[in-house]
Amino acid sequence: MIKVEKLHKSFGKNEVLKGISTQINNGEVVAIIGPSGSGKSTFLRCINKLEEPTNGKIWIKDEDITDRQTDILKVRQNVGMVFQHFHLFPHMTVLENLTYAPLKVKKITKSEAEKNAMKLLEKVGLAVKAQEYPNKLSGGQKQRVAIARALAMNPEIMLFDEPTSALDPEMVKEVLDVMKTLAHSGMTMAIVTHEMGFAREVADRVLFLDGGVLVEDAPPNEFFSNPKSSRAQDFLQKVL
Amino acid sequence: MNLDFTSVLPSLPFILQGLGVTLQIVCLAGILGFLLGIILSLCKISKMKLLNWLANAYTSVFRGTPLILQLMIIYFGSPQVLGFQIEGVTAAIIGFALNSAAYISEIIRAGIQAIDKGQQEAAMALGVPYRPTMINIILPQAMKNILPALMNEFITLTKESALVTTIGVMDVMRRAYQVGANQYQFMEPLLLAGIIYYILVTILTFLGKLVEGRLRSSD
Repeated sequence: MIKVEKLHKSFGKNEVLKGISTQINNGEVVAIIGPSGSGKSTFLRCINKLEEPTNGKIWIKDEDITDRQTDILKVRQNVGMVFQHFHLFPHMTVLENLTYAPLKVKKITKSEAEKNAMKLLEKVGLAVKAQEYPNKLSGGQKQRVAIARALAMNPEIMLFDEPTSALDPEMVKEVLDVMKTLAHSGMTMAIVTHEMGFAREVADRVLFLDGGVLVEDAPPNEFFSNPKSSRAQDFLQKVL
Repeated sequence: MNLDFTSVLPSLPFILQGLGVTLQIVCLAGILGFLLGIILSLCKISKMKLLNWLANAYTSVFRGTPLILQLMIIYFGSPQVLGFQIEGVTAAIIGFALNSAAYISEIIRAGIQAIDKGQQEAAMALGVPYRPTMINIILPQAMKNILPALMNEFITLTKESALVTTIGVMDVMRRAYQVGANQYQFMEPLLLAGIIYYILVTILTFLGKLVEGRLRSSD
């Protein structure tokens, strides 16, 4: 589904990703963890080309997105993204947030878009908030709306960039629960997270990044109970 | 002080006739300047260096020279450049539009750049192209923030429109001046003109507040 080959990314002279190669299969849930500044978010943002890779190749469903000929907008329609700070459109109601892209990009009818949106809002438990503006919602509610907004495009892949890091502790669970349901529904997911418990419980694989290098790639049980590298051991000692 | 409005009041309809011209110039120049301002601001934030440079050069020239000079160049210079004399009102609309576009583009640029980058990224991640992202996501949010500055610019434009007197356009200002010249009595017609401009600006301010209130409905 996603294949990354020798991915490099530099910001000026600062090389953030130093040649990462990996693969994420259909229906797989991958947790990307590592110390801050390790390049996790940059790695994720390269997958839908919010960051332009400096070098290397990325394929999404056999399409090379680093190729300039590839219609990246088309690819992005199939890759939903959830941000740390939600980035809901503040001047639109919750319902409009969900229907905007499907109407504009997929050109489906308004009634279809709204029906679909209401279904998704129900799924994340926020159907009653459809007519509210985002600033009337709590952080956890905003993030659930943001997840529903990404799902409204009916993507096959979902990227999560520290989805619970900006939330008050009591709201983390409601967002993780939505993500858990999504994972169990067979969605292909890449999640940058600091929630080790969640990674351990839900992920099929853990990618451990440090200093722009993919240091470990292992199933969660193996990674958390028996990390091979000293860097992963250090990291886990600090966070667990 | 001996103010006597009785002899001037019969000329009030004559002065008020200038309102049409004044409003025409202000409205058209305002709209054109606003549209051109948006285009210029998009050039300024573009990744293409040439567009940045052109838009910045434009602003620099129109902000760096007197408005009355620009008006006169357009009006009195047109026969030499275009081969025919353009009408005063047309020259005024072009002049004010070009000039206010320079100021408005700076206001809009700042407004766009104040919007969280995440808004654009969220739209990009949904596969929304650049144009609808700007039109539906970024500009509406920017407008809300810059409305007071924008209203300021339109108020300035309304008052500065009196400069068209210098290129022979029969606006409120010029008519008031003429009445004064005809009757050797300037104070009263000029005061009347002042009241007219003040009322115009007050209405504009009120409209601005109204729009601002409506845009704040999502807060």
